[in-house]
Amino acid sequence: MKAIFFFFDDFGSSIIFLKDILKTMIFRPCSRRLVFEQIWQVTIQSLPTTAMAGFFVGAIMTVQFAMQVSEFGALPYLGGLATSGTIREIGPLLIAFMLSGKVGAYTSAELGTMRVTEQIDAIRCLGADPIQEIILPRFIGIIISSFFLLTIGLIMSVVGGVILGYFFSGINPEEYVRHIPTILAWPSLLSGLIKCLTFAVVLATICTYKGYFTTGGAKGVGRSVVSTAVTTMMSIVVADWGTSFVGEIIINMCKDYFL
Amino acid sequence: MLEYRNLVKKFGERTILKGINLKINQGEIVFILGTSGTGKSVLLKNTVGLLKPDAGEIWIDGEEVAGFSEFEFLKIRKKCGMVFQHPALFDSLTIYENIAFGLRKHFSLSESEISSRVNRALKLVNIHDINDKRPAEISYGMQKRVSLARTVALEPKVLLFDEPTTGLDPVTTNAINELIKDLSRTLKTTSLVVSHDMPCALSIADRIVVFDQGQIVDQGTPQELLNSKVKLVQEFLAEAKEMLDHDSNVIRGTTS
Repeated sequence: MKAIFFFFDDFGSSIIFLKDILKTMIFRPCSRRLVFEQIWQVTIQSLPTTAMAGFFVGAIMTVQFAMQVSEFGALPYLGGLATSGTIREIGPLLIAFMLSGKVGAYTSAELGTMRVTEQIDAIRCLGADPIQEIILPRFIGIIISSFFLLTIGLIMSVVGGVILGYFFSGINPEEYVRHIPTILAWPSLLSGLIKCLTFAVVLATICTYKGYFTTGGAKGVGRSVVSTAVTTMMSIVVADWGTSFVGEIIINMCKDYFL
Repeated sequence: MLEYRNLVKKFGERTILKGINLKINQGEIVFILGTSGTGKSVLLKNTVGLLKPDAGEIWIDGEEVAGFSEFEFLKIRKKCGMVFQHPALFDSLTIYENIAFGLRKHFSLSESEISSRVNRALKLVNIHDINDKRPAEISYGMQKRVSLARTVALEPKVLLFDEPTTGLDPVTTNAINELIKDLSRTLKTTSLVVSHDMPCALSIADRIVVFDQGQIVDQGTPQELLNSKVKLVQEFLAEAKEMLDHDSNVIRGTTS
């Protein structure tokens, strides 16, 4: 019972925190320099792992799809299927998991340390707003970086797919790439982008919230980091289901409207 | 200058401050002593609006501030500078930028004015040639001094110190205590110091206030406190005497 109460209390508090961030974003935007610094830091931090993961996801998708489509003689469509699957589902999910492990934990630990060493109180005493000064740049930075990383992850997944497609199924790279636009329609692209944005907002909110409200010294920072990792992973999976469900309804509505 | 009237602060079911009544006059150095968890730091945080009291009034320079919003507290934070228990310096900024941070946020000053105030503040705390260093590149004692300089640079009327000498060696502790005294006398600021350091309080305070369980159990000049009948004060004095005896024995070489 206590755990359920705690869950809803935490959930409600994080929504109120998100409201404060958005309000600050509209009425008291932070300096662009701070946002660019965060975008650079987050992108550089996660670039190698995202690129590598993207490469292998493309490769895995190609191998898995190759087994299925070869039975129907549809191997030329392998590139389109694998890329569509990656952009719709695996890509955004993968980027979100990567970011939650690296950037989420890092941000939570950094903000938690700032809280327990009274740096956040000092910011307030020195006439600044901590949400505007330290939270908002990180929040925007994580969201914008997610799109950069998604793009890089997708490019690498195509590269991985092309290489594995060539060696595993003997598909000509040109053939692999040629059918990507045939299968990859705008609903897939839109779905991927919406998922990427949703996961990034979920991650940025949770890690900044957990870090900002850290209590209890070094142990508290440790607790915040663990809690950030667990909560973001679970929330991203739930958000994935939510966006798939809502996305499907919207796409069906659009189809009914246009057809 | 600074007055608390029946101030109450609760955290959940726990009442930390149980109706504090305290008046601090302009230019006075007041030490608040007490065991850990008795609400000394909570009192300071309520003063600058980092925490909101549950009941009571806080008067600063003729204004009742307890009900102030975060925005309204900005002008109070210009008047009341707080030095935290931790140095609380921003790791990503240089020492110069750390001190200039508050000046940039609180005032509209030219870069040359900021530079002169930063250098003046560093000189007041006896620190030179570290403007371009980052907090991680200087010692903990120096970080504490920079933290003091950052607050002093704002030229506040009231200085609040939250355990300024915790975690410091005896030499740096003495230096910081001397700084508190000198700054208060030089800048004519009102100082409220939360501390566990009885010998220091006896030597530099104009008045000592003793907290226990969220209440004031005794207060008076150092001379008056020496004759106190309150058990906690006597314990503090006994411990202070023990420390002084130990130090003099070390100097004489009779104790290791």
